[in-house]
Amino acid sequence: MQVDWITVSAQIVNFLILVWLLKRFLYQPVIRAMDSREQRINQRLDDARASQEEADRQAAHYREEREELERQRTGLLDQARDEAAREKKQMLQAARAEVRETRAQWHRQTAQERAELLENLRGRAAEAVWTTARKTLSDLANATLEAQIVEVFVARLDALDAGERKALARGSDKIRIASAFELDSGLRARLTRAVHDCIAEGVEVTYAVSEELLCGIRLDSEEQQLSWNLADYLDGLATRIEAAFSPRESQQAGD
Amino acid sequence: MTISPDSLVLWRWGPLPLNATIVFTWLVMAVLALASWLITRRLSTGTDMSRWQNLLEVVVTGIREQIEQVSHQDPSRYLPFVGTLFLFIAMANLLNIIPGYMAPTGSLSTTTALAICVFFAVPLYGILYEGPVAYLRHYVQPTWLMLPFNIVGEISRTIALAVRLYGNIMSGTVIVAILLSLTPYFFPVVMQLLGLLTGMIQAYIFAVLAMVYIASATSARRRDARPAKSGDSASTS
Repeated sequence: MQVDWITVSAQIVNFLILVWLLKRFLYQPVIRAMDSREQRINQRLDDARASQEEADRQAAHYREEREELERQRTGLLDQARDEAAREKKQMLQAARAEVRETRAQWHRQTAQERAELLENLRGRAAEAVWTTARKTLSDLANATLEAQIVEVFVARLDALDAGERKALARGSDKIRIASAFELDSGLRARLTRAVHDCIAEGVEVTYAVSEELLCGIRLDSEEQQLSWNLADYLDGLATRIEAAFSPRESQQAGD
Repeated sequence: MTISPDSLVLWRWGPLPLNATIVFTWLVMAVLALASWLITRRLSTGTDMSRWQNLLEVVVTGIREQIEQVSHQDPSRYLPFVGTLFLFIAMANLLNIIPGYMAPTGSLSTTTALAICVFFAVPLYGILYEGPVAYLRHYVQPTWLMLPFNIVGEISRTIALAVRLYGNIMSGTVIVAILLSLTPYFFPVVMQLLGLLTGMIQAYIFAVLAMVYIASATSARRRDARPAKSGDSASTS
């Protein structure tokens, strides 16, 4: 166990050289490499963090956009619903108005058809009465309806009081007798005699056929008029038929 | 039987002998420096690296962590000195497996040289980081009476450092040599393995003790300082 001081000195120098060598070739490069790697890792971590933040920001942005769209959609739906309700109301009003109009038109048409029906009915009734009476009179009295009408008319002339006869005779030297049918000579002579007897002797009597008279005779002087006409009865019949329609009309108006 | 490699003089130039200690020290230095140079020639700063670079990084990181644990200071300024102490002693002992190799650490001259380096490194670091007055004040703490004891303590621990390493390594060599003559073949191999383990432990102990001495000299000023994290210190070095 001895110490060789020359060797000690040499070893000190050797050790110091080794310190320098290892510092130069080992510690510095390795530490530099590790630091560099750590910096790169930190850089990547920072990048990742930045990316994450960016992604979060974008996610929040899209979330806001989606909520905005949702709000807009809800608004649009409400608006559409309101518009649909308004449209429905308008269409219902239009439909009601149209129904009212159609009903009024139908009422008008019904009224017109009823009037036409009544008119038609009146004509047919008169014709039926005429035909029936003519046939009945012809069968029962063995005389023509015309003759019976003339007889009825003559009877009415006879039934006139003095005042009425004067009124008929006043201011007229000519009497016109209109009938719905052509009178034969016998009937005309009967009527002429009746006029001469009841109104004025020697007054001129003329005859004419009038389509207006449904079935009857009319006597026209200057101022007065005397007639017997089946239309008068038919007017009464028509009035009654109209009266029969009236309750239904009032009931429909109530609907 | 040659106990110390100092006595094996290979060549002499005047009064200067070239003994086995110096030659094998050069061998260890060459191995360390060449390996470092070869590996750190192409260092990767990416995540994929060679396994040799990985080994070096593990070694350097391990040494830094040990220094930090002992000193609670930034390990960068102590790494070259303490790291080299550990690597040199470890490599010198590890090469014992080569037949004919004689560990330079088995020479009291080498261990004395290393201890003297520590002996001077302690006040050097202390003065460097605390200032001469603050450092020298340690010797008179807590009273002037402690001055001789402190000085004796400095010297004795240096001697202890040198003798501990020398004794351990030399004893391993001597035991193997004795056992070879008594029970050859198997038993010396076991002792050789034990010697390798002892060598690594001694390298660790020597480096850690050196660091403890240095840290005790520099810790007064930094007693209140927070222990630095290895990651922070690495990024600031």
